[in-house]
Amino acid sequence: MGKARKPVQIVILFLILLLGGYAIGTSVFGGDGKPQEGSKAPSYELLGLDGLTHTLDEYKGQPVVLNFWGSWCGPCVKEMPALQAQYEKWKEQGVVVVGVNVGEDRLTVENFVKQVDIHFPVVMDTGRDAVRSYGVSPLPTTFFINAKGRVDSIHIGQLELDTLDVQIGKLVDP
Amino acid sequence: MTPREPLVSNTKCDCGHQNPVGTVLCEACGKPQDEKELGAEGNLEMRYDGVARRSQRIRQGVIDRIWNFFSSVKIAVYLIVITLLGSMLGTIFPQESTFLNIDASTYYKEMYGTAGNIYYRLGLSHTYESWWFITLLVMIGASLVICSLDRVLPLYKALTRQKVRKHRQFLTRQKVVLVSPLEADPEAWVAALSEPLKKRGYRVKTEGSALLAEKHRFSRWGPYVIHIGLIIFLLAVLARGLPGLNMDQHLAFPQGEAARIPETTYYLKNEQFTVEFYSDEEMPEEFRGKKVLPKLYETQAVLYECTADCTDPAREPVLAEVARHDIRVNSPLSYKGLKAYQFDYDLTPVLRSVQPELVNSLTGEAYGKFKLDMRNPERTFQTGPYTLSLKEKYMDFGLNEEGRPVSKSPYPNAPAFLFLITGPGLPGEGQQYFYFPKQVDKEQFQQQAINERLGGSGRFLELEVQDMSDVDFAASTSYLNIRIDRAMPFVWTGAGIVMLGLVLGFYWQHRRIWLRVEDRELVLGGHTNKNWFGFRREIAAVLNKVDLIVDEKSLDNGGGLA
Amino acid sequence: MSLLDFSSDVFIIAFFLYSGAFMLFTIAIMGRRWSGRKPEEHTARWGKAAFIASSLGLLCHLAYFITRWMGSGHIPVSNMYEFMTFLSMMIMVAFTVIFAIYRTIILGVFAVPVSIIVMAYAAVFPQEVQPLIPSLKSIYLNIHVTLAALGESFFAVGFAAGLMYLLRTVNFDSTARSDRKQQRLVEFTLFSIIVIIGFLGSVFAFRGAGYESVFVRSNVTIDSSGQGDSTIEKVSYKMPPIVAPYQSETEVFQPFLGITKPLFEAPSWMNGVNAGRKFNTVIWSLLSGLILYTMLRLIVRRLLGKAIHPVLDGIDENDLDEITYRAIAIGFPIFTLGALIFAMIWAQIAWGRFWGWDPKEVWALVTWLFYSAYLHLRLARGWQGRRSAWLAVLGFLVVMFTLIGVNLVIAGLHSYAGTD
Repeated sequence: MGKARKPVQIVILFLILLLGGYAIGTSVFGGDGKPQEGSKAPSYELLGLDGLTHTLDEYKGQPVVLNFWGSWCGPCVKEMPALQAQYEKWKEQGVVVVGVNVGEDRLTVENFVKQVDIHFPVVMDTGRDAVRSYGVSPLPTTFFINAKGRVDSIHIGQLELDTLDVQIGKLVDP
Repeated sequence: MTPREPLVSNTKCDCGHQNPVGTVLCEACGKPQDEKELGAEGNLEMRYDGVARRSQRIRQGVIDRIWNFFSSVKIAVYLIVITLLGSMLGTIFPQESTFLNIDASTYYKEMYGTAGNIYYRLGLSHTYESWWFITLLVMIGASLVICSLDRVLPLYKALTRQKVRKHRQFLTRQKVVLVSPLEADPEAWVAALSEPLKKRGYRVKTEGSALLAEKHRFSRWGPYVIHIGLIIFLLAVLARGLPGLNMDQHLAFPQGEAARIPETTYYLKNEQFTVEFYSDEEMPEEFRGKKVLPKLYETQAVLYECTADCTDPAREPVLAEVARHDIRVNSPLSYKGLKAYQFDYDLTPVLRSVQPELVNSLTGEAYGKFKLDMRNPERTFQTGPYTLSLKEKYMDFGLNEEGRPVSKSPYPNAPAFLFLITGPGLPGEGQQYFYFPKQVDKEQFQQQAINERLGGSGRFLELEVQDMSDVDFAASTSYLNIRIDRAMPFVWTGAGIVMLGLVLGFYWQHRRIWLRVEDRELVLGGHTNKNWFGFRREIAAVLNKVDLIVDEKSLDNGGGLA
Repeated sequence: MSLLDFSSDVFIIAFFLYSGAFMLFTIAIMGRRWSGRKPEEHTARWGKAAFIASSLGLLCHLAYFITRWMGSGHIPVSNMYEFMTFLSMMIMVAFTVIFAIYRTIILGVFAVPVSIIVMAYAAVFPQEVQPLIPSLKSIYLNIHVTLAALGESFFAVGFAAGLMYLLRTVNFDSTARSDRKQQRLVEFTLFSIIVIIGFLGSVFAFRGAGYESVFVRSNVTIDSSGQGDSTIEKVSYKMPPIVAPYQSETEVFQPFLGITKPLFEAPSWMNGVNAGRKFNTVIWSLLSGLILYTMLRLIVRRLLGKAIHPVLDGIDENDLDEITYRAIAIGFPIFTLGALIFAMIWAQIAWGRFWGWDPKEVWALVTWLFYSAYLHLRLARGWQGRRSAWLAVLGFLVVMFTLIGVNLVIAGLHSYAGTD
């Protein structure tokens, strides 16, 4: 035992450091799994208005603006023109705007898209899976995801045209 | 604890045994090794049988310092006390985690004023998730491991290599001591004493006129078993946080439909939710008419597993029933680690579909009914010669600031549908028709007036529900807490081991009696780790068997080490 | 006579038997000097009678428990009244166990009154049988609550023995600084006990007299959409209001000793009308405790500790130290099993999480940590005897706060225990 003592001590202290570090780390950096600024954007698999299943991976290497909305939510309706305008402006530079409708059915979404006249892709999160994995609670919430697939910033509440422009600009040219 | 030792020191006992540095009592004969201790009076320090703990040996380097820090019982007690005080702080105001939806940054200030604000700013509103509290728990964990390791191996060595004949001072400085003149033949007397000792469960070893009787040694391992259990417990709790081992979500299950449980392949159907209250007869008189006490919350649940088309949102999944249980508080549904607990309920009925019939209000002719779902309805309906195409749908009808119809929420509180009807007797481009399935909404929003404005005065078509059987709704909604916790078996194992250790350590005592008969004198020393009172009584009773009458009390050699 | 009626009758008999046992234990100890017999003989004879009385009391108490269980259809530990009566029964069980081991007559003088006080405290709460709410319908109600109470009862006996150790060993004649400190601390402990007796006394006195005053307070809350919502809270005082709830109006005021309106109003941080009522109760308890204490001091004309000290003459202090430690050592595993492990198992089954940092859970953990610290400290030199006895006294304070204080002061998931 005498000779093995030191290595045993080192191994045990190392294990304690490792496990303890993990325990403290998860408590400090919020181990609840919800994406924060800088963390990897969770993937999703949702049905689009075009009748096809869409994922986030389709836009690999492109900056993505992921906007969660509902037709019944006032601020969501109001921010749509701004989103549409910025979509038009930044389309050429590879920026994708994706609207994620939260829990409504196809007819409602189609009518809404027609009514507010938006042309960016819209997917429907009927089971609220993306809402859960993104930890969205109030609507609208917008995630700005950079080309590396990491969340650059999160905006809760109504978007304004000029701030949206700045935020997308940051995505394209960090 | 011990001052820095010289690198080489004479640690050989008079009896010829070579002791490790830091030894208090000779490992072989029990003679005190410290000069100061040798000359002292009073009870011996019998902790860990006086052997050198690992941490007491030559100290050097950072590793040893850290090791020694955590191996100290004093530090362990400090850690316990600080954790205790920290835990207390967390109970002053409710923790953030007790609320489902609050903005903590303003809530504490509004509810509890300045004190609440300070509480929040100090981070005490999430005490038990804070870095310092977790750090304390980690340090306690470290202390548990290192304290145990540092003591259990030397103690094990000491207890397995006990010598029968001990130094005289070792005996006379125990807490139970008897020195008495003895005329009998030493070896015969010792042999005679062995019998009653064995009867009482002692394992007796003799060496000429010396004797060592020992029982319940396993009790000494109790504390270490407790510590091992606690370590397993803490590791299991830590493991719960690993991704995939733990899931916790609160979901709504409207009666009568299978709802998917996210992140799993399971679907759960609430077939029937029941809430019962105690009747007046079942209540004590004082409560009657004043209090309402719930008697039962029950969700008759069926669990399905999806067998095909599970992830493709474009297709309907194929389900197979796997479990069925009446979920109540204290009786969750359990299937392969997935558990569903009764959490809350809502008795508001939720409309699912209606089957209205198109009728001609002038002739009374009916053209047949169709099924109108609240969610994902069909787009066109054919009844008789008429075609109804659904143009707009509002789940919670209302008007916005500009007076345009909108849905106020995604919940079917006040559903409304706008149809375009085409067919005989109608204008070529068709006629618009607003339909409110709920009678209250029809009246509140004046369906008649709206339609008159839309279709003009020559209107003759109406949608009417003829029978209550044509209305399908979820009578209530049950909220279930769905959980997966794969680390639980380890948590329980840890707790079980703790309990085993507690029972071993606290309900048995390690008792040892040493004695030597020399020069017509009996010297007896006894040691136990607890319950000296019972031990003295036992020794007196045993000695009584060999006709040596001693008073229990006189065996007491003072000292308070119980 | 129904089972429940029989149950409450036999409970009262148990109460009187305990009181009788307490007096007999006291006579056994106090009377040894002037009985004319040999002191040991006197103590043994009266002590035996006392133990018989306390055991009979325990039997009656058990009969109460069983008949109430049969009559109500569920184990009677589901509300504060039932729990406190059960706790007092368990204290007697713990006392009987420790007494059977050590045969220390004087333990009865200190442990039995603890049980009597808890029993009297139970009577403060409404006594009717309530049907069980769904969350209590579980076999773990039986296991968790009973084991936790039994463990805590051993801590109660440890408290009694620890207090005895202090009364026995503190030098009440000395004027040295450290001794004075000890005297004052012991005196404060005794005073605290008297305040509890004062609380019980005032509750029962005013209840006997049928006292009641009522206050109302309207609460206006404004929700996020700007709509005002007003609710009216009503509180009934069963003791004359010295303090009225914050911003409340008197609805009924029964005059008391010429007082026709409350003397003060509770400070604003005391939210809710019940906080004012609880504060009022605290004031009355302190007041009557103080009166009681002053009267006792006037009778004995010295520190109460000093007056009690001679009672313990001739008792081996090491035995008291060991009884304290042993009681706690016996109680600790039971407490761990009942108050933590079975609590976790139940919480896992009822709520889906074995631990949720609910105040009651936290305080059970605090109690456990406290006694683990105690058990570790016993290993260290210098922590036996005096310090250890203080820890045993303090530990029981933690236990009582966990049982009662949490329900009174902090609300949590266990608030259905029905505190008033």
